[in-house]
Parts: sequence; C-alpha cells; structure tokens
Amino acid sequence: MTTTTLIFYILSGVLLSSAVMVVTTKNTVYGVLFLILAFFNAAGLFILAHAEFLAMILIVVYVGAVAVLFLFVVMMVNMETKKSQRMDRRYLLMGIFVGGVLVLELVVVFMSWNTSPEAFELIFAPQDGLSNTHALGALLYTHYALIFQAAGLILLIAMIGAIILTLRQRENVLKQKIGDQLARQAKDSVQMVDISPTSSFRNLESLDDSATPRGRTSRVS
Amino acid sequence: MTLSSSQFMSMPLKGNLEEYFNIFIFMAVAFGISLFLVLLSFWRGPKRPDAEKLSAYECGFEAFSDARLKFDVRFYLVAILFIIFDLEIAFLFPWAVSLKSIGLFGFFSMLLFLGTLGIGFVYEWRKGALEWE
Repeated sequence: MTTTTLIFYILSGVLLSSAVMVVTTKNTVYGVLFLILAFFNAAGLFILAHAEFLAMILIVVYVGAVAVLFLFVVMMVNMETKKSQRMDRRYLLMGIFVGGVLVLELVVVFMSWNTSPEAFELIFAPQDGLSNTHALGALLYTHYALIFQAAGLILLIAMIGAIILTLRQRENVLKQKIGDQLARQAKDSVQMVDISPTSSFRNLESLDDSATPRGRTSRVS
Repeated sequence: MTLSSSQFMSMPLKGNLEEYFNIFIFMAVAFGISLFLVLLSFWRGPKRPDAEKLSAYECGFEAFSDARLKFDVRFYLVAILFIIFDLEIAFLFPWAVSLKSIGLFGFFSMLLFLGTLGIGFVYEWRKGALEWE
C-alpha cells in the first residue's frame, strides 16, 4: 500500500463518516460543522487527483461562504430540536421504502454502467506541463464561452433575487449623507437675528424654517 | 473494454505528490502541537467543576435565553452578495493564468462576464442593499 493510497483512504474515510454525522446528528449546528469537515476532506481528495484549483475553490467558496449560509439557515429555521425527535417513527417505514428504491436504482445503474476506455485518461488534469488551472482557463473562456456567460447571468439573477426578496427599507432612520453633510455651508444654516431686549422668544417661531433642514437643528422655544 | 473497480480506484492517484511533502510536514506539526497542548491541559489541569463553573458565562449575568434566536435577514443578504462576488473572483483566477493562450476572444468574454455582474453591482448599490443604516 503506497502512501497516496493510504492518504486517499484516510481522507475518504473521514469524508464518509463526517457525511454520515451530518445527517444523523441531532444538533444541527454540529451538522453544519461536520459538513465543513467533509468539504475539507473532499478538497484533499481533489488535491490527490491533481485538481488543485478545484480544491482551493472548494475551500474558498464552499467552506468560506456556503457553510456560513448554512449556519444562517440553521439559525433561522431550527428553533426547537425536541419536537422533531418524536416524529421519527411515523416516517420510518416510508423512509426505508423510498431509500430502498433509491439504493436499488443506484445498484441497477452501477451494474450496467459502461465507460469508454478513453474516459479514464480524460479524468486527470493534463500532465504535460500544463497546470490544472491553466487547462481549465484554456477551455472555459473560449470553448465554453456561452456557458460561462450563462453562469454570469445566473449570478446576476441570484443577486437581484436576493435583493428583491430580502431588502426592506426602513423608515425614520437617521442616516449619514456624506455629500449633504460636506456641502453644508454656514450661510445655509446660521441666521443672525436681532432681538430687542423687550421682545419674547415666541417671536422667533415665525422665522424662515428652510434654513434648518428637516427642523432637526435646535430651535429656540 | 471495461476496467475493474480496483483499477478505477487507483487511477486518480497516479502521478507524484512530492511537492506537497512540505505542506504535509507543516500540517503534521501543527496537528501534533495542537493535539499535544489540548491533551496536556486535559490531563494535567485541575478539574473541580461545580454548577456555577459549568453554566454558560454571559458577561456575569445568568443567560437570558437560548443563544439561537432569530436575527435580521440582512445578514443573510450580505452573505449572499458576498458569495456571488466570491464566485466572480473564482472565475478570474483561471482567466488570469491562461490569458496569454486564450487570445482576445477570451479576454472580451471575461469583460462581458464582468459587465454582467457590474450591472448587478450598480443595481445593488443604487438600491441601497449595501447600506447598513
């Protein structure tokens, strides 16, 4: 058994067991943490297959971003953990049935799977001095340009959809408006008023109100 | 011609991984040291637990409620927008590496992609999705 085979079995063993933990653990936050562990081990497997770029992207995108989203979802959705444990029995029979059908289908597919002999040469990164990242870039932006642009459009739609679904503008919130604040001049906001010693302060109420934006500056009253 | 599963399993493992040996040593040392420190404090540290020590510490008071409470959906929005631009950056790396071989078409292909996401960026800026209040 060579070292790479040993590393392969260690990585895939941890990957599979943490994947099992994701679906069996009661505490969903632990489930997400096990999912992150599974991502890390999958990245290790990618490195073993000489797909360094995919490994790094797996860590940056999945571990860095998607795991955070999963944590958010867990925080938002899962408020009580005790209630769900009681429901397990009701779905057991149906779950076993559906899972069994799926396993049977997978077995049937796997038994009748034919692979072209050339495919095994194509699953590696090209070894002739070309790095994995370079090989990916050489195809993605020219040969698959249309699919690449479609990916851009999907990202755009995701962005707009997320903004439309979740953005709520709040009323009556004091905001910094840097431009307005810097453009404010003394002559717009300071007024010199002559007050005779005998007059009352009430007379000042009739002053021009436009000099005090939104009436928030202190007014004598 | 079909290959046996054992051949299939060993296929992606061919090629050398010697250049990762330094990283492997680094990770082994880091793992060893952290494991050693944790086990050492677990083994040698005094353990005299009581109810007060085991309860959650929250700035000196009793914990008011469960730590898992609903929070503002805007955190979620920021995270989604972060992921989208994260993916955009991820697409930039192979492009930068292979820029010399993909020619002008590849260059403008990426510019169109960036323009598409730029529209989204302008939209989100004008809409005020990046402002926190």
